[in-house]
Amino acid sequence: MSLYEFLGTIEVGFVFGLVALGAYLSFRILDFPDLTVEGSFPFGAAVAAVLIVNGGWNPWLATLAAAVAGCGAGFITAWLNVRFKILHILAGILVAISLYSINLRVMAGPNKPMLNVKTVFTTFEGMGYPSYMITPIFLGLVVFLVKLGLDLFLATGTGMAMRAAGANPAMAAANGINVGRMKLLGISLANGLTGLAGALFGQLFGAADAYMGIGVIIIGLAAVIVGMSLLPSRAIWQATLACLIGALIYRFSVALALNAEFIGLHASDVQLVTALLVAITLIVQSSRSGKFLK
Amino acid sequence: MIHLRNIHVIFNRGTPLEAIALRGVNLRVVEGEFLTIIGSNGAGKSTSLNVIAGLIEPSQGEVEVDGKDITGWPIHQRARLISRVFQDPKMGTCEDLTILENFALAYGRTESRGLRFAISEEIRERTRLRLALLNLGLEKRLDDKVGLLSGGQRQAVSLLMATAGDTRVLLLDEHTAALDPKTAAFVNELTRQIVTELKLTAMMVTHSMAQALQYGDRTLMFHRGKIIFDVVGERRAAMKVLDLLDLFKRDGGEELSDDALLLG
Repeated sequence: MSLYEFLGTIEVGFVFGLVALGAYLSFRILDFPDLTVEGSFPFGAAVAAVLIVNGGWNPWLATLAAAVAGCGAGFITAWLNVRFKILHILAGILVAISLYSINLRVMAGPNKPMLNVKTVFTTFEGMGYPSYMITPIFLGLVVFLVKLGLDLFLATGTGMAMRAAGANPAMAAANGINVGRMKLLGISLANGLTGLAGALFGQLFGAADAYMGIGVIIIGLAAVIVGMSLLPSRAIWQATLACLIGALIYRFSVALALNAEFIGLHASDVQLVTALLVAITLIVQSSRSGKFLK
Repeated sequence: MIHLRNIHVIFNRGTPLEAIALRGVNLRVVEGEFLTIIGSNGAGKSTSLNVIAGLIEPSQGEVEVDGKDITGWPIHQRARLISRVFQDPKMGTCEDLTILENFALAYGRTESRGLRFAISEEIRERTRLRLALLNLGLEKRLDDKVGLLSGGQRQAVSLLMATAGDTRVLLLDEHTAALDPKTAAFVNELTRQIVTELKLTAMMVTHSMAQALQYGDRTLMFHRGKIIFDVVGERRAAMKVLDLLDLFKRDGGEELSDDALLLG
């Protein structure tokens, strides 16, 4: 693996760190298996790309708008679940597949290249450092700030209420917490993070694509599961850190697997490698806790 | 303080499993009264509590608490007026959160939550002082996860949490039923102290006739969805478990088959 490849892997690892934080919020904190992510990731990318290319927007504003768009997608999923009691998984699938069509409309086609336009990454050009150095540092900073923000939020009165709403809804309601509202807020936030990740991913690779969401949910979950089983965490800040490290470990194991030519894997095998990695982690986890033997 | 008017509850209405849980319950509890409620399984005692707390919507009738008609209110809104302790010690507290975080949640019931940090020095001190009253040493374990506590400790914590805000109504649904006799006695005594000190209006469902007479100042018995008797004052003070049984035979019109009520 060359230095260039190494830094590239870190960049992508950081972007998926945002997805991992979102998955942590929905799956772990709210106990809400949210599949909207498969749609909100490309949605974020599509919104940012169209605003930058067609709208001539400032890339930073376009990225922010993509995050807000992701929030909107998450809100609809949570609303279908809270207001109409549609099963959470099904609500997420409904929104994700509808976003597939919406993305095609937004981009007026299956993809949107961002060539020769200003992106958040071109902002740092001309600072005297090569972009392959600056980009991972910038992404690391973004992810770290988001992690810090999430840690702080989960320590507030509202954040604590959200944790209770996920862990023990009956107790939360008895303590005056509007559990439905917590789901709306939490799932919106989680998809906002995914939308942000999609926008950054699109700008990083110079295009938004309607198919780029496939497997995103399992990547986010893989990061959470791998991270949290390798780094058992008591406090929230440890758990969010574990998610980020999990995202990096995940990217590196995928990169190594695909680079090891003697195994004979191709780039198209990435989803298979991901699924195997998650399955192996879960099997090791359950055999360690003894459940495996029963 | 609590007023139930002609409450009817029907489960699984219009299906072959239709069951009538409450048939026209009328009840008025004055402020500061400590009510104990007994009855065999399925008599409607827990259902009545759940109707007040908002878990079950009555098919007919009105619920009034503190002068407000709360019949259509969601559970979380009622929590500003009413606090509850559940039968299952796991239900009343959040085991993934620390003792202190659980208390912070409970304070949030009547105070705004917002975006300020849930834990402050002031809340830590307030919680420490409250927990010290238990003499269980929990005030030194504020940062331990609640999941590490025993059932009795969790129930004691639930009780303190339920009475932490300025809610005036306390509902206790067999909150000592899952505990061993010694711990149950401790939690019952604690309940009596807190209800007396804070002058709360309390309703306690119990499966033991002895407990029903020992605690509180008014006793109701439910049978088949109705209140079959209601004793208070001197008449109640002179009653023994056997007198309650006689009353039940007379008013319920049948022999009591539920051993738990007799032996508890």
